[in-house]
Amino acid sequence: MAEMVKLFVNGREVEVESGKNLIDAFKVIGIEIPHFCYHPALGADGNCRMCLVGIEDGRPPLVPACKTPVAPGLKVQLDTEKIKKIQHDIMEFELINHPIDCPVCDQAGECTLQDYYMSYDLQDSRMTEPVVVKGKRMDFGCGVVHDQERCVLCARCVRFTRLITKTGELGIVNRSDEARVETFPGRPLNNRYAVNVVDLCPVGAMTSRDFRFTQRAWFLTRDKGICHGCAKGCNIYIDHNREKYKDDVIYRFRPRLNEQVNGYFICDEGRFTYHAENEGRLMAARVDGKDCLGDYAAQSVRAVLGPKSLILVSPDSSLEQMAAIKALSEAVGARLSGYSEGYIKEGDGDNWLIQDDKSANRAGLSLLGIDAGKETFTRLLNSSEVLVSFDNDLFIHDTGSEFRQRLEAIKVIAVTSHDGILTKMASIAIPVASYSESSGSLVNIDGMLQHFDRAVQKNTPYFDMVELCGMLGSPVATASDAVNEIKKVIPSFANVEGGLKLTASEATNVPA
Amino acid sequence: MSASIKVMERKGSSFLEKIFLLEIFKGMWVTLGHFWSNLCDNSRLYVRHYPEVKPEITPRWRGRHRLTTHDDGSVKCVACFMCQTNCPAKCIMIEAGERMDGKSEKVPVRFDIDLLECIYCGYCVEACPMDAIRMDTGIFSVTSYDRESVYMRIDTLLATEGAFDEKEYKKGGA
Repeated sequence: MAEMVKLFVNGREVEVESGKNLIDAFKVIGIEIPHFCYHPALGADGNCRMCLVGIEDGRPPLVPACKTPVAPGLKVQLDTEKIKKIQHDIMEFELINHPIDCPVCDQAGECTLQDYYMSYDLQDSRMTEPVVVKGKRMDFGCGVVHDQERCVLCARCVRFTRLITKTGELGIVNRSDEARVETFPGRPLNNRYAVNVVDLCPVGAMTSRDFRFTQRAWFLTRDKGICHGCAKGCNIYIDHNREKYKDDVIYRFRPRLNEQVNGYFICDEGRFTYHAENEGRLMAARVDGKDCLGDYAAQSVRAVLGPKSLILVSPDSSLEQMAAIKALSEAVGARLSGYSEGYIKEGDGDNWLIQDDKSANRAGLSLLGIDAGKETFTRLLNSSEVLVSFDNDLFIHDTGSEFRQRLEAIKVIAVTSHDGILTKMASIAIPVASYSESSGSLVNIDGMLQHFDRAVQKNTPYFDMVELCGMLGSPVATASDAVNEIKKVIPSFANVEGGLKLTASEATNVPA
Repeated sequence: MSASIKVMERKGSSFLEKIFLLEIFKGMWVTLGHFWSNLCDNSRLYVRHYPEVKPEITPRWRGRHRLTTHDDGSVKCVACFMCQTNCPAKCIMIEAGERMDGKSEKVPVRFDIDLLECIYCGYCVEACPMDAIRMDTGIFSVTSYDRESVYMRIDTLLATEGAFDEKEYKKGGA
């Protein structure tokens, strides 16, 4: 816990963390200072002037809260008439040329301008001049659509490309009411984190081509999740909605603050992995090419499982699922492998969030002592009569063609969330819930244990993989069984309760 | 709490009333009177020959919905979802798409109203910032032998004309 400092807000004494600026420090104790340009990840810029606060007996008496560190005995005024007038006037300036096209703006419902208008402004426009017309629906590249008329010129996006990605594609050109965010001619946004500017933008100036017009923000249910796009395990919000007469569908992933893993951002590739949660799913169980009930398919699998079968674990499975599959293999005497070299894309990662390893829980395989070597897998495969793949896609990223011949010779069973080459080869296929529809724990590439809960509730839920293992004969048949099993096998997890938690300060310090 | 109590006089307690017979003939006399006057002159009937004769509807009547258009025939709706958000019966289902005619950025590619679920409250009309949805078609009877034909789609909603002229409709408070 950081050192605490005592100061005064509106004459009331409060205690806040030292080393922070006024906006961050007050947010933790529930006092909101309005701001557009400040963002914890991008630092203070001080260009919007919305966060001006009064300091009693201060020199100067007015300071931007984003650039003012907390100091003991500081007498901060937030509710004087002067401060209210400043906020009022700044809002009036921001709205002079604003198109007020909230009905067609994707940001409506989560827009800082809307919120601040209701909290600090509430006046009609006094402008009689026609508004300045600027570019709309501009394609900035990487799936970012820019609307110059809605922009409040806070420069968060500009600073993001300069400070975070260090690519600097964006800049503010011209001055006063002609100022606008622009790319250089012929040089659109070109980095693997570009869509983060959509989340950073406090207004609707930056919108995502992918999410554009699909849903209004207030329809979405926001659930916490962990991205399964790579081994980093970035924290995300899963925004999903069940429309009338339809199924629960994910509409977007957004980054969720976790300083210990991903900070405020996620990569674009991970952001768009939600498409795979909605599309290409295996819908019904299949036995010998015919659709059937899941229970019947599970019975058929149970009948063939034995010492001559090889169970293949996915590096994307949660620790609970891995523990249940391992217990299943021990119960029926089957062989076990976690071979999944196809999940590794050599040289794809950078030294920030994107990793070479595109599986979410490879560390879990070694923690549970599941062998993932290629030689072992090839040897076991050649001497087995049945291969049961638990959501392990052997042909991912166009790999695995060397096993095709052998797989065609033996019986293949696919327990999988997605339809694929292996599922087409399989004589029995059973659909299971994907990660957004189940809960579990993951260990990321840095050895960080994280827990995620079920977000999406399908109209007809698929089998949970742990419960399916129980139906196939595993002694580990529920999530709590699995947790007990994990704690037995991995001694260092014995005292862990519910995965990694945010610190109190991080949980409250979510960007506006 | 003190309530003001009004004592009602009970009728039908006299002897003549209690034997009913006289009262029945008195009632029959009224019926016979109506029968005779209707037979002689049926222009002053107390009932309407529905469905041959339709009732007169005021412009404020909330009938079946329609989607309005600009003068050039393009749809006014910008797919802002205000009606869908406000709908207490959740009977409006919209899907938005990109609009390229310069009138707006957004246009509904799907606009469905399930009339079997609609409660005709008129909140959609009140919520609309574009005056794009109205209930002024004058259609008050939505009946059908199947569900599909009362599930309104965008083309049906756009095709229906308003039953009142603009001035009359605006007078109704819209």
